[in-house]
Amino acid sequence: MSFATVIPKRPGEMLWFGLLCLGMMAGAVGVVQVLIHGHDHVYNVSREIPWGILISTYVFFVVSSTGLCLVSSLGDVWGFEKFAIIGRRGHLLALLTLVTGFGTMAMELNHPIRMGLYAIISPNFTSAIWWMGALYGFYMVCLIVEFTSLMRGWTRLAFWSGLAGFFAAITAHSNLGAVFGLLEARHFWYGSYMPIYFIVSALASGAALTVLIVYFNHKARGIEMPPVYQEFMYTMGKLQALFLGILLFFVVWKIIPGLYGQPPEKYETTMAWITGPLAFNFWFFELGLGILIPLIIVANRRTRTVFGVMIAGLLSTIGIFFMRYDLVIAGQMVSMRPEAVEGASHGLIHYFPSFTEIGIVIGALCLCLFLYSLAERVFDLEGGHRH
Amino acid sequence: MSNKRYAMVLDTRKCIDCKACTVACKAENHVPLGRENYRNWVMEEALRGRYPNLGQEFTPGQCMHCANTPCKRVCPTKATGVNADGIVTVENKKCIGCKYCMTACPYNARYYNEEIGAVDKCTFCEHRILTGREPACVETCPTRVRVFGDLNDPNSEVSLLLAKHPHRVMKPEMGTKPYLFYLI
Repeated sequence: MSFATVIPKRPGEMLWFGLLCLGMMAGAVGVVQVLIHGHDHVYNVSREIPWGILISTYVFFVVSSTGLCLVSSLGDVWGFEKFAIIGRRGHLLALLTLVTGFGTMAMELNHPIRMGLYAIISPNFTSAIWWMGALYGFYMVCLIVEFTSLMRGWTRLAFWSGLAGFFAAITAHSNLGAVFGLLEARHFWYGSYMPIYFIVSALASGAALTVLIVYFNHKARGIEMPPVYQEFMYTMGKLQALFLGILLFFVVWKIIPGLYGQPPEKYETTMAWITGPLAFNFWFFELGLGILIPLIIVANRRTRTVFGVMIAGLLSTIGIFFMRYDLVIAGQMVSMRPEAVEGASHGLIHYFPSFTEIGIVIGALCLCLFLYSLAERVFDLEGGHRH
Repeated sequence: MSNKRYAMVLDTRKCIDCKACTVACKAENHVPLGRENYRNWVMEEALRGRYPNLGQEFTPGQCMHCANTPCKRVCPTKATGVNADGIVTVENKKCIGCKYCMTACPYNARYYNEEIGAVDKCTFCEHRILTGREPACVETCPTRVRVFGDLNDPNSEVSLLLAKHPHRVMKPEMGTKPYLFYLI
């Protein structure tokens, strides 16, 4: 596309793409390992903890996608002019994070091809995972149509597909929360909390990624951020303060019922999360990097600068990655039959991802960034909002 | 012919923890080697009392063939089903390996079998009972902890045992309505 030629030469671009290629190679090695040796031999998931880091990374990606879609829709669907500048980029990254998330999920499934067949010819409508596939499939179609419409300037179709995508995102994502929330056997997850929490955390995730793409898009091109984007960053900073505040509220109310009265299994899980094997992840990554430090940065007018909002977004994104990991693993740490688990201490089962699992996660993250960076070169993502 | 409702009644006071049931099951059902691969198990309950007055019980377990079946409910491709006789089954070719059923089962009765490429579990040795034989674990148990039969038949041994003795099920608070009954 001709627009690619007008992009100024970006400093460090080769290094950036080189690093991403290295990361993707790590992922490719992991994928080959799985194909040769099988899941059982290269993943650290077990009978007791069948869902590991690949599931939590899938959740991270689709949460990001939902959040990006919701935030981007504020301009194109809900008419907030200020947000229109992020429409194309936001929807593109929403699509890419969704596709990469699907890829990560496929690596966790033992038979992804079988899934494609039997999900259609033998659907189980009482399964939240079946609905997850169907709703995210529909959501992906909406994203493709909306992105195409935004690129072509079909405003009417962009509006309707954006509106459909907005509701599809909320439905699909709350249903993802229900994948966990409908499991009566898992006390830490069970209940209506999860679908609601997933939507709220998606907003924080989407806002964080939005400011990152705005900031690094200008930084990488070596161009000064125009006032309209600076103003957008300040607004996003305020919004992020609200989202993180609500997220903190949700974290606090996840902990209190887990401790109060020491409810069986829920108490042990909550303790594992805040004082046990996941405590460092919780206090340092989730609470410190993910919520408190960014909240202090964006809530304070003096630190809510363009750079400050970007740093807050970066820290939140890192923290939210660990938030997903802790949520998925913590829910499985209490054994269904504690006496039966060898090596379990205090009835808790331990999990740490294998090199292959970590490699695939790094590969997926790099693939997503690579595809986005490539798209920045190929597509005109400024659209009608070029400065 | 009316359907059966298969069930198992266990008298844990007779269990000596020999694990013959686990071995018989593994051999009968070609369960792969490996610590995590098993269809049934014997759980060691906590020691009671103080030396020299000690007591301990062993509780065998397996898929509870629940009437309210969480694994069937969550399976996205209907790989898990319940047959007309109440046996919870897995259709291997439909299993996508999402392991949702494993997270949904409150008894940890399922494992992923790499050799058959599907989640595996106890089937009450369906292939044996179709030919009039008992499940392998029942047949092999030296102290006759397990009794297997049809609850729809009021004169079956399982029906009579449940009528005569008080009994319990595992994790009744889960509402799964298990069909493994433990005599008290």
